[in-house]
Amino acid sequence: MTQLDDIRRALRESDPQLSRFDPLPRIICLDDFDRGMCGWTQLVGNYEDTLDAMLPGYAQHSHAMLSTLPNWDFGSHGGVDGSYALKIATRPRKGAQNVAIKRLTFRKPGPIRLEAYFTFKPEATDLALSETDIRSFGFLYDLQIGDTSGPGDRVMPHLRFLNAQDGKHIQKWQFKRRTTPIKPIGTAGKTITHYHLSPDDWEDLPGGEQRLCYNEIPTKVNWHYLRFDFDLSVMQATRFQVNDRVFDMGGYDCIRIPAMKNLWCMLNLAFFAETDTDKRAFAYLDSVCLSGDF
Amino acid sequence: MLPENLTAIVARNESWTGESATEPYEAGWAKEAVVFVRALKTPVGRLPKARVEISADGMHWCAEGSEFDLPSTKDAVTFQRVSHFGNFLRISAALPAGAEITVLVTLHLKA
Repeated sequence: MTQLDDIRRALRESDPQLSRFDPLPRIICLDDFDRGMCGWTQLVGNYEDTLDAMLPGYAQHSHAMLSTLPNWDFGSHGGVDGSYALKIATRPRKGAQNVAIKRLTFRKPGPIRLEAYFTFKPEATDLALSETDIRSFGFLYDLQIGDTSGPGDRVMPHLRFLNAQDGKHIQKWQFKRRTTPIKPIGTAGKTITHYHLSPDDWEDLPGGEQRLCYNEIPTKVNWHYLRFDFDLSVMQATRFQVNDRVFDMGGYDCIRIPAMKNLWCMLNLAFFAETDTDKRAFAYLDSVCLSGDF
Repeated sequence: MLPENLTAIVARNESWTGESATEPYEAGWAKEAVVFVRALKTPVGRLPKARVEISADGMHWCAEGSEFDLPSTKDAVTFQRVSHFGNFLRISAALPAGAEITVLVTLHLKA
């Protein structure tokens, strides 16, 4: 630890907003949804000439919301330290997904750290715990090397907490290395699409079983801490932590597809929810901190 | 800080037939909303009025009282101003048999 590290840590720990995160030296963004949408938006699919060209997986997406986690039986739940959280809601159809995304670029291909406080729950349409109604909560990066750094790939690290499938309470972290075949869109030769969140090709993270806290009725939630470290210089994950568990990333890898002509230095981050029943799944983010070592 | 101001697309290229509605949208932070509806394709049949609906929980809905025309031609836009709507908001319409409209529904929300 240098003197600068000590000063930085002391300043960080004296700030209640920051002291619950453990960021790398440079904070790229600290998104507390009590301050609004903070640049998180809807993941719209690619199209040309007509919206009908959009893949159905993307067509189902809708806009995230600023939510107080309101419930019919006890009212607003609120966030970790304020009234609002970002809410990602699926449609009420088994297998439906929704995504919120933030689009950045990076200035140094080095270590980055994503931290968040998250929770999830189904829409409380039944007077039952409904703990197997949500299929998954997850997150991803969409990354590409700089235009002079090549050769290299577009790299898409994915992780999801598979909560349940077909009524079975599974509770384990998964990753994926494959996306759907790349499909041209329209006739101008400028746009392609692929559906990296297709339900296929998820693989179990070795040792990734985790029993998360969930409450005894469908309207109560508890917030969880998440941290994912990634090194842009080698495009490899280096550490993954949720609450008290740190997972071995030795068996982890990302989706890797050829670099695209328009995505240099891309640094997109996204969170998503999937429902396993004909009931809306809600994923909530209280706050997100993205930091880097540069 | 400037007050929050959000453009939210709550239905995109959705074909409405029969009883149709946008997904529930939470906007309790907003004091006012303008709802825009654009027809992305030529509508078919007789179009009903669209209704603004509000909800205590996002599951049980009440007519807020505001009604407005759906756009009658491709790329036409209609709108409705709404205020004092609580938290959950949606737009619905009951299309008669044979009627269909493909909509883009936009909410402009301001704190």
